[in-house]
Amino acid sequence: MSFFESIVVSLFCIATVFVVLACLFVFVKILSKVLSGLAAKSAPLSEDAKTAVETAAIAAPAADAPDFTAGELKLINVDEKTAAMIMAIVSHESQIPLSELQFRSIKAVPKTEIQ
Amino acid sequence: MFFEAIQTIWSDSGLIALTWQHGLMIGVACVLIYLAIVKKFEPLLLLPIAFGVLLANLPLTGLMSGAAAGSKEPGGLLYYLYQGVKLGIYPSLIFLGIGAMTDFGPLIARPSGLFMGAAAQFGIFVAFIVATLLGFSPQEASSIGIIGGADGPTAIYLTTRLAPELLPAIAIAAYSYMALIPLIQPPLMRLLTTEKERKVKMEQLREVSKLEKICFPIAVTIFCILLLPSVAPLIGMLMLGNLFKESGVVERLSSTAQNALINIVTIFLGVTVGATAVADRFLRPQTLMIIALGLMAFMFSTIGGLLLGKLMCWLSGGKINPLIGSAGVSAVPMAARVSQVEGQKANPSNYLLMHAMGPNVAGVIGSAVAAGILLALFG
Repeated sequence: MSFFESIVVSLFCIATVFVVLACLFVFVKILSKVLSGLAAKSAPLSEDAKTAVETAAIAAPAADAPDFTAGELKLINVDEKTAAMIMAIVSHESQIPLSELQFRSIKAVPKTEIQ
Repeated sequence: MFFEAIQTIWSDSGLIALTWQHGLMIGVACVLIYLAIVKKFEPLLLLPIAFGVLLANLPLTGLMSGAAAGSKEPGGLLYYLYQGVKLGIYPSLIFLGIGAMTDFGPLIARPSGLFMGAAAQFGIFVAFIVATLLGFSPQEASSIGIIGGADGPTAIYLTTRLAPELLPAIAIAAYSYMALIPLIQPPLMRLLTTEKERKVKMEQLREVSKLEKICFPIAVTIFCILLLPSVAPLIGMLMLGNLFKESGVVERLSSTAQNALINIVTIFLGVTVGATAVADRFLRPQTLMIIALGLMAFMFSTIGGLLLGKLMCWLSGGKINPLIGSAGVSAVPMAARVSQVEGQKANPSNYLLMHAMGPNVAGVIGSAVAAGILLALFG
């Protein structure tokens, strides 16, 4: 193969590599557009579904209220999020449904008291 | 009787058949073993390759000999294992494992990395031109050039099809340069980029959905193989492995492909490729030329990626750090790590790893495509 031929072959090959990967670039772009378009179309549906779930969640306590109550719960130096976590852990560990457990108070014990 | 027994043992031993060429190759094997164990140069592959070199150069073992015609004696162990290399089975199976380990997410998030993956194949064709000038046939020049793709399985696959007699030199050169990436690339990166360019911080990549990740391997398979059927074994296996990973429904297959299977195949591939480096085929001036051309290919591939990185930096108004261009050579993830290290040297708050992974995995596709084109032209 002559020097000139090898240059022509090399230019052809590198151009082909670029064309193939450029086509893949276009394809990935189109794929992303199509899939994001599909996601956007389904988004209003999921918004509706979310609203429905929220409505159901608001209605649910009223319906469930006569069946059981967690009673009065005193939180001492504990925020609501931590208290909810503790209740969930106790329920999970004891394998007693949360609805059957009654918590009277949750108190944060200072470190010095533990020691 | 005693002396006869000694004489028989002596005449059957390898010691009597040992030549200085064998001795030299045993020395080369020991140096490679040293580099793999002490210097940790790609030890997963270099160690089996080095041991294969050692085994093949111990005379009279017949490990790489096939069964003699009409003989009931079977051939050597490595001869049979080598059929997996000769038939292109092992490189394709390694691609299956690589696919199962690869996350194409960064590439899907920023597909412009594909252009850097293409530009980083530049060295293949520079080496091709120089090799033909030096008198190598187009098939041999293609096999030498593919070292610049920095992809061991692709180099082995192409060489077994185009120039099998050059396989040991090409495989050893390819894996050695991949191991030397942290030494070869940084000087070129500093030479071709400015301090300002190296400091560029890139925007965070968008999140890629699971559906996109599942569609990607299927579409790449259809597109690339329809266009270049000769790349079917490599791209097909790469994308199958990736689909195993991304589909999330065949965890066992994905795990096997990226662990047990790839490890087993690596042992067979490494030992048998090393075993082809017998003295009379390896100790030739050609080998030194291949090693020099391989280094040149590798350097020009890095330069190609960096120059395109600079162009993209300029076109994007300084939003793309050109250092990620050098990761377009497909040595995954080593080349991306080098981009990260160099980027962080220029700007300690710079995190380029995920950005460099896009061109890095694009380089795997790019080198497979380049191999497919060369195979279609000269196969």
